[in-house]
Amino acid sequence: MSAIYYIIVFGLLIVFGATVIAALTWAMRRGQFSNLDRSAATIFDAEEPPGMPTDRFPPPRSPRRRDREAGR
Amino acid sequence: MTAAPREDDAARRARLRRLIDRSCRVPCLALFAASVVWLIIGTLLAVLASFKLHEPGFLAEVAPLTFGRVRPAHLNVVVYGWASTAGLGVLLWMVCRLSRAPLRWPGVVLAAAGLWNAGVLLGTGAILAGHGQSIEWIEFPPAAAMLLFAGFALTAIWAAMTFAVRRERHVYVSQWYLLGAIFWFPWLFAVAYLLLGLAPVGGVTEAAVNWWYGHNVLGVWFTPVGLAAIYYLLPKVIGRPVYSYHLSLLGFWTLALFYNWAGMHHLIGGPVPAWLVTVSIVASMMMFIPVTTVAINHHMTMKGHFYMLRWSPVLRFVVFGGMCYTLVSVQGSLLSLRVINEPFHFSHNTVGHAHLGMYGFFTMTMFGAMYYIIPRLTGREWASAGLIRIHFWCVGLGLLLMVVALTLGGKIQGLEMNQAQAPLAQYVGEHGLIDGVRTFFAEMEARSGQVEFLEIVRGTMPWLQLRTLSGMLIFVGHIAFAVLVAINLAGRGSVRPGPTLLGRNPLHPQEVRA
Repeated sequence: MSAIYYIIVFGLLIVFGATVIAALTWAMRRGQFSNLDRSAATIFDAEEPPGMPTDRFPPPRSPRRRDREAGR
Repeated sequence: MTAAPREDDAARRARLRRLIDRSCRVPCLALFAASVVWLIIGTLLAVLASFKLHEPGFLAEVAPLTFGRVRPAHLNVVVYGWASTAGLGVLLWMVCRLSRAPLRWPGVVLAAAGLWNAGVLLGTGAILAGHGQSIEWIEFPPAAAMLLFAGFALTAIWAAMTFAVRRERHVYVSQWYLLGAIFWFPWLFAVAYLLLGLAPVGGVTEAAVNWWYGHNVLGVWFTPVGLAAIYYLLPKVIGRPVYSYHLSLLGFWTLALFYNWAGMHHLIGGPVPAWLVTVSIVASMMMFIPVTTVAINHHMTMKGHFYMLRWSPVLRFVVFGGMCYTLVSVQGSLLSLRVINEPFHFSHNTVGHAHLGMYGFFTMTMFGAMYYIIPRLTGREWASAGLIRIHFWCVGLGLLLMVVALTLGGKIQGLEMNQAQAPLAQYVGEHGLIDGVRTFFAEMEARSGQVEFLEIVRGTMPWLQLRTLSGMLIFVGHIAFAVLVAINLAGRGSVRPGPTLLGRNPLHPQEVRA
């Protein structure tokens, strides 16, 4: 019974090791590592471009404090 | 600046992003809500366990609440209930965004989340009822583990399918980390439960499998998800690409290569083959490469933008997490050296190290990610900046207090416990054969029999009390966070202006987006 488990475990070991090599080869062939500057910018787009922060504290609820912060 | 993009292109991108966020809405919010419930339960269990270490009589008659059950229940609730559940939500949302593809049939992921949470509930109940397995990190009985595995595998398949139909051709560094995580964790989890739960290998090999799992669940599941979130959110929030994309990719592939070898350094001094431990120590040293790449990228991307920590709650938590990652990794690599490990092993120092990693790094990063993601899913702004500040300062200071107390207290404890008695030969040389042997045994009885050891234990008390205090502080922070999430999920609070939350750009205050 336990022999089956060992076959599973060592089989998986080889499969997973091979997958890492396959993934790295795939990435190299597809040019994933060329033109790194453009790749780094893929998370930005025209609506959320570089130079534009996308998070801030919610504005205060009282209108007076909101005006004061906006006037800064 | 490049040429101004066409207006319809920007509108198309914004519409797609809205579509993606809407497709993730139900499963991700369900995962986040469940994770916050587990967070509160896990923190209560933590404070209770910590309290029992200096007040052992407290609730000692209630079997389910004895230390031997509360402590593993705490570990498993925060690891599988809080951290992994939150991690799954963050992972799904990021995979969809980075693939620029909506989540298909989100109901399936909702069912997977149900399976996962049922597993955590069953496992925690089993531990508290006294049916836990006595193997650290693997305390859940195999039945609960099967539910967890089914839930995770289903989510992983769905994430992989979303990746397969991606519209973004480039695989961003965060995506590599996420793909690694969904690929490695099921393997790790299944193998550990095969060899420790279903067909136990027995003997010393069990310890080896135990720490291969215990170390790698951090290295190939929590670390990749946390780093993926940092590599996505940091540039997005401050609006600046990663400092060195080249280094970030090097970091991923070296992590993939080295981390999984490092587990055996948990068994230094144990009855395992020395070469096995030595290989792990070498791998732990090699981990300096990926850690340094992350540290350099993190700092250099933030450089000149630290003032934005005042403006962005997401940034506060994520930067805190990134700094803790560097700290805990350097500390961990150094602790793997035999000479440094010697006094620290089996002391409270280890607990401080574990919290710096799982809390300071991973949990803080997940808080930051949830502050970013939840408003984009619900379309509601966070209800109160004050509560966010309370959350940040309570958990930040609480964690620092805990880590400092346990690191110092643990170091003192470890050094004291290593104060071995002088060897027998020295006594014989000084007192002659008969008197020497007699004095040797008399002193040994006096020192290690009871008196000395108890004194060392008593010496740890103030540090343990400080830890309970820090736990209470963290609990207050968690309540503030839970209230914020509950208000947001209940649909209260102001409607977010547009799909990409930008009330006012602190860099360009005149630019207000409606």
